[in-house]
Amino acid sequence: MNAEPKNFIAHMTDWISWPRFIFSLVMIFFLTSILFPFYWMVSSSFKTRAEIGGREPVYIPSALRLEAYKELFDPEHESYQEFAANILNTFKVAVPSMVITLTLAVLGSYAIARLRFKGKNFLLNSILMVYLLPGVLLIIPLFAMLAQVGDRVGFEIQDNLSVLVFTYLAQTLPVALYMLTNYFRTIPDEIEQAALIDGCSRMQVIWRVTLPLAVPALISVGIYTFMIAWNEFLYALVFLNDHNMFTMPIKINTIFNDPSPRPHVVMAASTIMTVPIVLLFLSMERFLEEGLTAGGVKG
Amino acid sequence: MSLATILNWKSLQAREARLAWALILPTAIIVFGLVIFPAVFSVWVSFHDVGLNNLNDVFNAPFVGFDNYRKVFSDFAFKFQPGQSWGAAVTSVVYSFAATFMTIIVGLIASLLLNRPFRGRGLARAIFLFPYVAPIVSVAFVWRWISDPRPSGVVNDILMNLGLIDLPMAYLATRGLALGIVIFFEAWRYFPFAMLMILARLQAVDSTMYEAAEVDGASTVQKFWHITIPELRYVLGAIFLLRLMWTFNKFDDIFLLTGGGFGTKVLPVLTYEFSFRLFDFGRGAATAMILLIILVIFMAFYVSVVMRNVEEE
Repeated sequence: MNAEPKNFIAHMTDWISWPRFIFSLVMIFFLTSILFPFYWMVSSSFKTRAEIGGREPVYIPSALRLEAYKELFDPEHESYQEFAANILNTFKVAVPSMVITLTLAVLGSYAIARLRFKGKNFLLNSILMVYLLPGVLLIIPLFAMLAQVGDRVGFEIQDNLSVLVFTYLAQTLPVALYMLTNYFRTIPDEIEQAALIDGCSRMQVIWRVTLPLAVPALISVGIYTFMIAWNEFLYALVFLNDHNMFTMPIKINTIFNDPSPRPHVVMAASTIMTVPIVLLFLSMERFLEEGLTAGGVKG
Repeated sequence: MSLATILNWKSLQAREARLAWALILPTAIIVFGLVIFPAVFSVWVSFHDVGLNNLNDVFNAPFVGFDNYRKVFSDFAFKFQPGQSWGAAVTSVVYSFAATFMTIIVGLIASLLLNRPFRGRGLARAIFLFPYVAPIVSVAFVWRWISDPRPSGVVNDILMNLGLIDLPMAYLATRGLALGIVIFFEAWRYFPFAMLMILARLQAVDSTMYEAAEVDGASTVQKFWHITIPELRYVLGAIFLLRLMWTFNKFDDIFLLTGGGFGTKVLPVLTYEFSFRLFDFGRGAATAMILLIILVIFMAFYVSVVMRNVEEE
């Protein structure tokens, strides 16, 4: 090699080959088409109404204007949306869904993975049925049943976040059971047998041996059930009527369908709903990736 | 083994079984109460006249035989009318198959991109998962806003600047085009699922096969068709089945993107409209049963014919 300096073009022609060229081209195409919608969501949320409704799109907002966020959070704003209440409602639904699902699923999936009992296969198959049944099919009988029960026992089924949490169990519990059962089966039985021989009861074994070993699975199942409840749309749409009880997805839908269109507000609310989930996913990716193909995100 | 140990062992087994039932009982009740019973009950509802007026006394709803099904089959939103509208059943089938094929093809390309090492692969892989992880409400509305027919809609602006179109178009509000965009959206959102499954399989392919093929002078394209695709066949079949099932059942995506208008009314959206716009739960349940029957027939066919052939070869 002589030390003669090469220009940029020469470097490029050295590096480039047809496979590399095609690879880069396709990669750029993928990255832009994935990232552009997310860029457009975040950037639109910082635009003013004038920039949103102008004669042409504004590709880069002139400044980080908080008009849209003010409408969501500032009580002084003329069309204040009380979005903080919607965020709170979403947490009120997602956190209990996660806690109840995890508790029940740990016990249930331990029994399925480790213990022998009659009716196990029937139970497993009916759990898998949830993956086949469409949500719109289940919501009709659920609505009718709960209306009936609520009428007898004396609780409202509309605008009742507890009822919503209860119906979410139908979606989260089968997913959690399926994932946790698979995980418990990978934990060697010998460790538990040793603890049993040392005089631990089954419950002690679960608490002291199995659960500590299953922490990665518990984290990932917990996050998936949280995400299912956080994102859920259809059941919330059916069961919630009062604006004060709306979860984020229903509220965003309502703002979008408002007669005076305000895309920047919709995008601001969407940004608030999306960013935590994407960050959560990125920070926990090594726990979560396996769950994506194991049915963690159904649909 | 002495009798005492056998008895002891038996009682241990009985104790285990009792414990198992205690552990699983809450779950079993919920799964039964929220999944199995409702599923059976919705068959019952589909043969009865259930509306808002008798919702609080639903078990005494009048039996109407196949009336609900007849009403669905004669509904203009369901019926296939050549030249005018496909109807919800045909639209559902076309939409699910097209979206599933697109998802798999995009997922296959993405997995081939990520299968070979390059700088920043971990980051690229994480970014590729964004569409699948982000909430459906957000991404659906971003797509609506990007394809907005107003002058500030960015897709229209780009296409007009490139000279590809003269006037702004209403992508999600034009018959035909709307269905195409919705299918496109499905591929954009769900390809990461296919990508991850294919990637896992690709990494398990025995590399000596490629080496042997290279010795024999096979080109990249030949290696792809004669090694990669046959190795992936089983996983592609599994992805196809799962994605088809989930797309066929999907309500949110189309409801949020088009509201079921402009030739995109699929069976789940029709079920919702019958049940919660017209509050005719019987007709809604009948629509959902038709949806389920189509799905089960297809799956039975697929599992018994297509998957069996894969196994035999």
